[in-house]
Amino acid sequence: MKTADTPKISRAPAFPLIWLVPLLAVAVAGWMGFRELRERGPEITIDFKDGTGVEAGKTVLEHKGVSVGMVKAVRLKHDLSGVSVVLRIDKDAAELASSDSQFWIVHPEIGFSGVHGLDTLLTGSRLNVRPGKGAPAQQFTGLDKTPPPEISDKGRTFVLQGDRLGSLTTGAPVFFREFKVGTVQTTWLGGDSTGVLIRIHIDTPYVDLVRTSTRFWNAGGFDFKVSLLGAELKDTSLESLVAGGVSFATPDVEPLAPPAPDGTQFKLASQAEKEWQSWAPKIPVKSPESISELSAKIETVPAIVKP
Amino acid sequence: MNPDSPSNGLRSISTSAALATASAVMLVPANLLPVLSTQTSGQAQTNTIFSGVVELWSQGLWAIAVIVFSASIVIPALKLGGLAWLLLNARRIPRADARKWAHLYAVLDLIGRWSMLDVFLVTFLTGLIQFGLLATVEPRSGIVAFASVVVLTMLATQAFDPRMLWREDDRHPSPVSPS
Repeated sequence: MKTADTPKISRAPAFPLIWLVPLLAVAVAGWMGFRELRERGPEITIDFKDGTGVEAGKTVLEHKGVSVGMVKAVRLKHDLSGVSVVLRIDKDAAELASSDSQFWIVHPEIGFSGVHGLDTLLTGSRLNVRPGKGAPAQQFTGLDKTPPPEISDKGRTFVLQGDRLGSLTTGAPVFFREFKVGTVQTTWLGGDSTGVLIRIHIDTPYVDLVRTSTRFWNAGGFDFKVSLLGAELKDTSLESLVAGGVSFATPDVEPLAPPAPDGTQFKLASQAEKEWQSWAPKIPVKSPESISELSAKIETVPAIVKP
Repeated sequence: MNPDSPSNGLRSISTSAALATASAVMLVPANLLPVLSTQTSGQAQTNTIFSGVVELWSQGLWAIAVIVFSASIVIPALKLGGLAWLLLNARRIPRADARKWAHLYAVLDLIGRWSMLDVFLVTFLTGLIQFGLLATVEPRSGIVAFASVVVLTMLATQAFDPRMLWREDDRHPSPVSPS
């Protein structure tokens, strides 16, 4: 019979290596949480009068067509006068939350001047922002409607004063020789309600076309006249037919009047006088098209002479 | 090594407890972080496990909501809780109850793997739903934490030696305590 060996008593080590696993778990969990928090941007609250289509967890904030934030909650205000939308902005877009930023809700809009935000029919409303430059802020008041399109072009703005608005709307084109050189920015009723005021913007290459002697007229719609002498149809481009528009012409008497400074006020005639349309002042423009015009001339092929 | 040595039983408890603790730690990010982000026609959405259950429920998919809820919230919680109870009391339970406790252990061992359902769900969705603009599904870091919870609890259950429950000698004043 064999006696048992001296029993080996193995002690559990004071600190078993397996306990490194929970330590590792703490580290990993902490890192995951930290990473999630770090990616989190500021949270802001925007008050709207109407929150149609805004849904928590679904509606996004877009800027320049890119999603930069998400609505976290939508609440009715205590005094029932509107809704508060709580929005989490992405970390890399945090600067959008500056005090003079403007927020609005984009709804699908089908008008004469085009279709806007059609994708929101499918995706639901979204929020849009025009960034400001102020200090970071948390509380905002949203705009009721889409503000006029942002104009990055410097150009010049002028104010037109007319009797009636016709079919002019924000975004309507401004024409020179039926060529679009600018847009209508805003329209409003004059302070003493004797007329309407229209602010237009002329794009940089064409600012010199507007002289102090320039005449503006409403180019919207069409005019059909029947008389003993026959029928006469006054029309402009199809675009201005539906969206309304403003045309202008500059007298070609030499020397030309000086270019109109920014903010000059003009009268808006309801229609052009015959004489205006024959004016053909020679004013150089620096449009991108005028450069290609040069190269087009070089390529002109002489007429083929038939034998 | 002799599996019946008392120190071995203790080690099994220690290993199991360590893995269970790690699992409990990972349970925090698994439930707080999003596990999935979906994007359908330009609409992005991130879901944590719980918000996913709530959404399934609110869409009327009660059966699936219940399955997901039990597989991903109830089972891991029960399993960790049961395991903790077992580990804390393993050396104190009367021998007469050992069979009952062994049953508990068997149940824990059995149900653990079902929690992987969620991980499979996310993996399948990610693989299946990649329609570019129309719909895309992407896994988020929470699912990694969740998978690690499931794996760690499974390992913890494996590490526990149920024979511990029948051991007489180290239940009372431990002979292996350093002297």
